[in-house]
Amino acid sequence: MKLLTHNMLECRIKGIENRYPFVIEASQVDTVEQDFDPDFLRHMYPRLEWPALKAAADSLGVTGLPTSVSEDMLEDEEFLKVFHHALLEVVLIEGFLVCPESGRKFPVSKGIPNLLLNEDEV
Amino acid sequence: MSTAADGQPAEEQLSKEGAESEYLCWFLHRHLDFRRQEVEAILGTASAPQPRPVHWRQPYGDCEVSPFWYLHLQSEAEALLLTERCMIPRGIYEIWGEGKDMVDLQQSIEACSAQKLAAWCSADLTFKVAVDGWGQTLTQEQQVELIEQLAFLPIQGRVKLKHPDVIFHLIVARWQENTGLPEVPHRLYFGREVAVSNRNATIKRYALSSRRYLGPTSMDTEMAFIMCNQAQVRKGMLVWDPFVGTGSILVAAAHLGAQTFGTDIDIRVIKWGKKDPAGRPVDIWSNFKDYGLKPPAGLVRADAHGLPFRSNLHNIFGAIVCDPPYGVRAGGTKLEAKPRTNHLDPVDHIPSTAPYALSECLWDLLDTAARLLIPGARLVYFLPSIPHLYQETILPTHPALKMVANSEQILTQRYSRRLITMQKVAEYDSAAAKAHLDLIQPSLRLHDEIASSVWQPRQEEQAGNSTTNVEKRRYRSKLV
Repeated sequence: MKLLTHNMLECRIKGIENRYPFVIEASQVDTVEQDFDPDFLRHMYPRLEWPALKAAADSLGVTGLPTSVSEDMLEDEEFLKVFHHALLEVVLIEGFLVCPESGRKFPVSKGIPNLLLNEDEV
Repeated sequence: MSTAADGQPAEEQLSKEGAESEYLCWFLHRHLDFRRQEVEAILGTASAPQPRPVHWRQPYGDCEVSPFWYLHLQSEAEALLLTERCMIPRGIYEIWGEGKDMVDLQQSIEACSAQKLAAWCSADLTFKVAVDGWGQTLTQEQQVELIEQLAFLPIQGRVKLKHPDVIFHLIVARWQENTGLPEVPHRLYFGREVAVSNRNATIKRYALSSRRYLGPTSMDTEMAFIMCNQAQVRKGMLVWDPFVGTGSILVAAAHLGAQTFGTDIDIRVIKWGKKDPAGRPVDIWSNFKDYGLKPPAGLVRADAHGLPFRSNLHNIFGAIVCDPPYGVRAGGTKLEAKPRTNHLDPVDHIPSTAPYALSECLWDLLDTAARLLIPGARLVYFLPSIPHLYQETILPTHPALKMVANSEQILTQRYSRRLITMQKVAEYDSAAAKAHLDLIQPSLRLHDEIASSVWQPRQEEQAGNSTTNVEKRRYRSKLV
């Protein structure tokens, strides 16, 4: 699971308030090199929750992301490379996504999170 | 791909900015309902989300099912784009003349602009003439005899059979009975090849028969590419398949340069894969790896009826392409709300599922697409349909989506599926969406009857009349 995916997901358990973002419990993290595509990053940036990306990157020990981003940084290649790495190259292979309120753990296996809820959670 | 575009005169053609020229778009006799839609979608990729107006001229004899359509293009680069991406056109030709017989054809070519001919007939260019039969196969002798009758052409170049600068085509359409082909009027066409289809290479490279990880409903390669073409998939966009299965649609999207994203409730997506015949483990990731394609940007096991996307996520996908589960081959499932009876850790528990009605599945798909598509982007999905019960009025609608194409693929006598292409034309408004759902609910429910109706005898069959649908003849696809 890339941090792009992590940024898009929330916990859908019924009856809770605080669903986002998932806390990451990692047991295996890989780095997979991806083609650098600045246009894709500029397109994605306004659709992301930056603090969630920053917190997720920090929790996996991925450094270099600023706390906040300004429009002109999206033209700065050095920043875009760091952003690219955090968003697309860091991959959680095995571990859990933990609901920030209920603590319910969702397994991540072979890079694929299983977010199916049980019948008493729907 | 063989093409004459690297010859000198092609560049002159390209430099004529803004002027449209007419070309013959020769289609394969396949997916008749998809042919022009696919071409229009690809021509629109450069101007998307604004549609590019496309001018067609009806084939000779006003024969809708004929494979010989005329099309206006702004440049020969557009012809190359079409043959590079589209699955159904066989080639694009600049026609110099056409006629019912050789005498007629000669008159027509002689009336053609001398300038057009001169550019391609010069002594500096090597050439060859290909004779293509449609509706019947021409013997070597017949082909030679036809070429000899073209001696009146002012071609001065030298013949070269391998990689000539220009390839001329004499297309001979002669319909015969019992070929299963539509009755197209006899016609001869002569012209210059501009671009020929790249489909065979694409279909061979991604053939399901050589793919190591497949499911029972993996989308066939040709159709997966047609779907991505309808969706105007291109580099730099994020493309989502909400019923990803073994990833057959996303493989096509990844080939086209997109970042891909898949979700599915099915265990197969996260199962430990299978073993291929050589005993090596395979899974959805290996399908991308085997082809050297970018792996999906994300795969998530999730319920399409309660997707785990954060509620403020909007306008993120550049296209949504899918084949929803309809129940004829593989029924849909969704999570079911009820008390849990065991005391296992929630992580280890296998949740129970309930059948996912097609009406519900269609609405979830349209409503999610309306929220998550970028404005102007497209949703492309298959809808099951029973030809004699089909009415356009039952197609699902949404206030933020507009239908741009609807093409029927014939599967059997009594069952077909329609590829529906919709475009996001308004920002998502949840109140408007809810109100709209109340309005269309009764017609949406009609889709739930489809799986069971496929096998029900029709009224006229019960009454003993074997009437066929005479309104529109339906043809089987052929690779001609």
